[in-house]
Amino acid sequence: MNSITLSAVSRPALYMWAAAVFSFFMIALVAAPSLAPNAFPFLQPLKIDTDPENMLAADEPVRIFHNKMKAEFTLHDLIVVGVINEAHEEGVFNTDTLADIYALAEFAETIRWQAESADSEPEQRGVIAFDIIAPSTVDSIEQAGLGSVRFDWLLPAPPESDAEALAVRARAQRIPTLNDTLVSGDGTAIALYIPITSKDVSFRVAKALRGKIAEFDGDAVFHITGLPVAQDQFGVEMFKQMAISAPAAMALIFALMWLFFRRLNLIISPMVVAMVSVIGTMGLLVATGHTVHIMSSMIPIFIMPIAVLDAVHILSDFYDRYPAIKDRRKTLDHVMKELWQPMFYTTLTTCTGFASLAFTPIPPVQVFGVFVAIGVFFAWIFTVTLVPAYIMLMPERAFSGFGMGAKGGGDHETTPLARFLHSVGNLAVTRSKLVVSIFLIALAIAGYGVTQIRINDNPVKWFNADHEIRVADRALNERFGGTYMAYLTLSAAEDDSVGAMADEIDQRLGELETSASQSLANEARERRISASSADDLLATLRASAESAQDKAITDDDWYAWDDALLALDAAAQSRDIFKRPDVLRYIENFQQYLDETGLVGKSNAVTDIVKTVHRDLFLGEEEAFRIPDTPEAVAQTFITFQNSPRPQDLFKLVTPDYRKAVIWLQLTSGDNIDMSALIEAVDAYIAENPPPQALSHDWFGLTYINVVWQQRMVAGMARAFLGSFVIVLILMTLLFRSFAWGLLSMAPLTVTIGVIYGAIGLIGKDYDMPVAVLSSLSLGLAIDYAIHFSARSRQLYREIGDWTKTAIAAFGEPARAIFRNVIVIGVGFMPLLFAPLVPYQTVGVFISAILILAGAATLLGLPALITIFQKFLFPKRSTS
Amino acid sequence: MIKKTFIAISALIISALAPAYAQETSEAAQNVQSIVERASAAAYYQGETGRANIHMSILDAQGRERTRNFVILRTDIDNVDNGEQRFYVLFSRPADINKTAFLVWKHADTNDDRWLYLPALDLLKRIAPSDERTSFVGSHFFYEDVSGRGPNEDDHILEEETDTYYVVNSTPKDPNGVEFASYKNWIHKATFIPVKTEYYDASGEIYRTYTATAVETIDGHPTVIESKMADIRIGGETKMSYSDVVYDLDLPEDIFTERYLRNPPRRYLRK
Repeated sequence: MNSITLSAVSRPALYMWAAAVFSFFMIALVAAPSLAPNAFPFLQPLKIDTDPENMLAADEPVRIFHNKMKAEFTLHDLIVVGVINEAHEEGVFNTDTLADIYALAEFAETIRWQAESADSEPEQRGVIAFDIIAPSTVDSIEQAGLGSVRFDWLLPAPPESDAEALAVRARAQRIPTLNDTLVSGDGTAIALYIPITSKDVSFRVAKALRGKIAEFDGDAVFHITGLPVAQDQFGVEMFKQMAISAPAAMALIFALMWLFFRRLNLIISPMVVAMVSVIGTMGLLVATGHTVHIMSSMIPIFIMPIAVLDAVHILSDFYDRYPAIKDRRKTLDHVMKELWQPMFYTTLTTCTGFASLAFTPIPPVQVFGVFVAIGVFFAWIFTVTLVPAYIMLMPERAFSGFGMGAKGGGDHETTPLARFLHSVGNLAVTRSKLVVSIFLIALAIAGYGVTQIRINDNPVKWFNADHEIRVADRALNERFGGTYMAYLTLSAAEDDSVGAMADEIDQRLGELETSASQSLANEARERRISASSADDLLATLRASAESAQDKAITDDDWYAWDDALLALDAAAQSRDIFKRPDVLRYIENFQQYLDETGLVGKSNAVTDIVKTVHRDLFLGEEEAFRIPDTPEAVAQTFITFQNSPRPQDLFKLVTPDYRKAVIWLQLTSGDNIDMSALIEAVDAYIAENPPPQALSHDWFGLTYINVVWQQRMVAGMARAFLGSFVIVLILMTLLFRSFAWGLLSMAPLTVTIGVIYGAIGLIGKDYDMPVAVLSSLSLGLAIDYAIHFSARSRQLYREIGDWTKTAIAAFGEPARAIFRNVIVIGVGFMPLLFAPLVPYQTVGVFISAILILAGAATLLGLPALITIFQKFLFPKRSTS
Repeated sequence: MIKKTFIAISALIISALAPAYAQETSEAAQNVQSIVERASAAAYYQGETGRANIHMSILDAQGRERTRNFVILRTDIDNVDNGEQRFYVLFSRPADINKTAFLVWKHADTNDDRWLYLPALDLLKRIAPSDERTSFVGSHFFYEDVSGRGPNEDDHILEEETDTYYVVNSTPKDPNGVEFASYKNWIHKATFIPVKTEYYDASGEIYRTYTATAVETIDGHPTVIESKMADIRIGGETKMSYSDVVYDLDLPEDIFTERYLRNPPRRYLRK
């Protein structure tokens, strides 16, 4: 018996107490700062993180760019309130519903409070009232009789008649930035967009909104959604999962173990091992300042099966041996001697599989991998100490009548389970070629399946289809241009070349043909070489012209210099490329192309503002809905727009220097596959249709970030998996001191992973975040069975010296241990199918599938392969 | 607790003295009305006519600057303070809005008439008389800040009188037409120039602040030559700098007509 186990067996009570103290310490370490943060400022409280953005590190260029652009275009995180009224034939466009919507928007403006932090400046938090998009807070530009134009709010006051309500709809549908965004395309629904100071206030804001909505007694249905709300919901469901699904899995595992071992007090020990391992790992995770993220919330679910796995091996062996030895200490001696090496190696390989995730470029996945590895290590320590210690603490008499076949008193190889497994072994050995062929065929089919894998994810679909978030998501995406936002920036390269500016100045001054302009043009030609930048050239010329203007005596002279100065300013403005009609028409055509791709529900750009203002300046006629022909005319539509109640909206689409613009794309699908298709379509369009001015294009927005982290994850997972496959192969070769045995042990996991991923490809299940992570779990679990089977077979072979006889023995206790493991853990994870979040369900299904496959591959494939290759595997012993 | 009790007791005393107090306030109200009228006259009606070059610098919350240069011509009809007025606003910079022009006919008791001329579109448009509290060419100033808010549109209370200022609190008679719940004006006692105005929202919080940052006496008239408007809701502020201010120039009334929007009256515009 190993010294650690020996020590535990000698002082069992001490070990049990130590484990209890350890658990309570870890619980206290997390509970203290979480419940009383002020009392323990030096400790790390429990922090929940449900932000999918955090799949990428905060300093990732794509996130830095995302935040920079959000700041530059003053874009905020939004709570979306979709209002649908199916009871009224005009939808929400009736006096009652519009009055409610009006009241809700007014109420939303008041959801503000001062930040409670005492140390810093008081900070406004909550709703950013000024940027709310609601009928009562958006601009309307319209005809107001006698050829006059009116700038006003779309819904300045609740409508008094249904006709007025319908007029609001008609006005909104004429404004492209509102149609399909504020008012649904079919004209029956309205969506309010409520910007908030930061995502973490969304729970409070949404709660306040729900409270207000509860006061309304109309027929309208109000769906509250938007990413911040989804994230809050996710946090809630995550806790539900951890509080319900994980303990339910524990309970079922417990019940199954009881079924196998029939000793309630005995099977408590694997439970204790699992609990202490989970508490230790999660405690360490929180105490070291890591957040509980969607990934790390799955750590307990991953640790539990692995923790129970080794304990089941010990119990299974103990259960089978005890009736023969009839002394718990001696039985333990025997069991631990037999199992020590396989348990140590399975721990090592499982740790390797998970630790390899540390090399993926996704921080939450790294944390997940490292902490599962730590948990597996904890589980091993506790298994080899607590399980024996626990057995020692039980009085000898508790074992009377215990053990396989003990009651019958006969041969324990005659139970139904034993007979079944012997027939499996018999099949594998006698029909080895057939068994191997079937596995090879399965692998070939799986290989085809793998090529069919569709890489896709969508965090909204992590909720069950009937979850309120999904219901709202469907309701709004059916009616509006789309709730998934992606932003495409178009920016002109920094251009401060003196030459281009000098040419521009020369041309504009040349057109004036006055002596003032000629003299300034001459000066410009002289200065173009010495000027350090375009701005420097402009400043010098401006100063010189202004001083000449001040000296002017006649009006003509004064105005000649004024015109020259104006020409300089016009030259400077030639850099405002998003006032150029050719550039705007390019965007207009590009938007049209985007609409035709079918991937974009709706796009908003600065062109929409220009066209709308232009149309309404010209009596609202449809033919005037166009980009005007000169940059000056464009500039004057902008200045007109800036007299509206919300002038700042212009700079959500273009920067004030008119050198960077953003196109808002509303997508009806948040699937990464659709976003990826859009990215490709955009790249292709821009490559085929170069813009009139060199423009670089960049994406931001969460829909885009999701694609980026998914790409990283897929590539990172593939690398991590291949790396750990090689490491495990090396470990196996070392363990068995034989490359042939090392290679052989890899067979079950190769089959398991191949078939699992082949099946994913064949059934069309998207390869998403949980599926990607499962490759490490498969590797960890499938190799375990192979190690146990191979190691025990080799031990037995050393005693028996003949493979066929060895196989019969191997299908005794070793096979039963593996089989019990498969059943206990495989079935034990079924409760995850009822988890409220899809990733957990996926994990549940696949853990079961992995275990069953790995069990089958080990119990059928391994003996079949050994039979075929026994000459290579047992080279000398078989002849001696 | 003590504070609350104090307020409650004060309220009791005030209600007991109500009749006497009411009489006093009506006198004060008359007084304050005249203060506000004089302030309005000092801010918007100096001289019979006026001209100024204005440089406007709009800084947004991110510190990005936009500028506009324009000339304002003004005439007071019949030289009556707080009466009819006409403004002609002609933009010269940035170059692409050169010659864009506004015409405002300000009426004492009804909505103003406004016209807009956009030279690049050769378009003369009448702007519907509705909300005057919308941005003036994208700045933090509203139209009404440029042309003046009528003293009769609000109820005024003299809240405080210091050595230098009358502090007047004003609440709108028609709260529907405006975005503020009230505003407070610091009126300089010697010149009647409003040097600071704070606008409060329904929850009593300041969201918008006007400050006169430089005053100079020109042709005997105290004149604001630099002012600022900040708005914490959108962030940033706009600074207006006045130069070449001239009073009582000879401005024919007919230049304040639509005809002149298309053809700026050059001779009155040169500084």
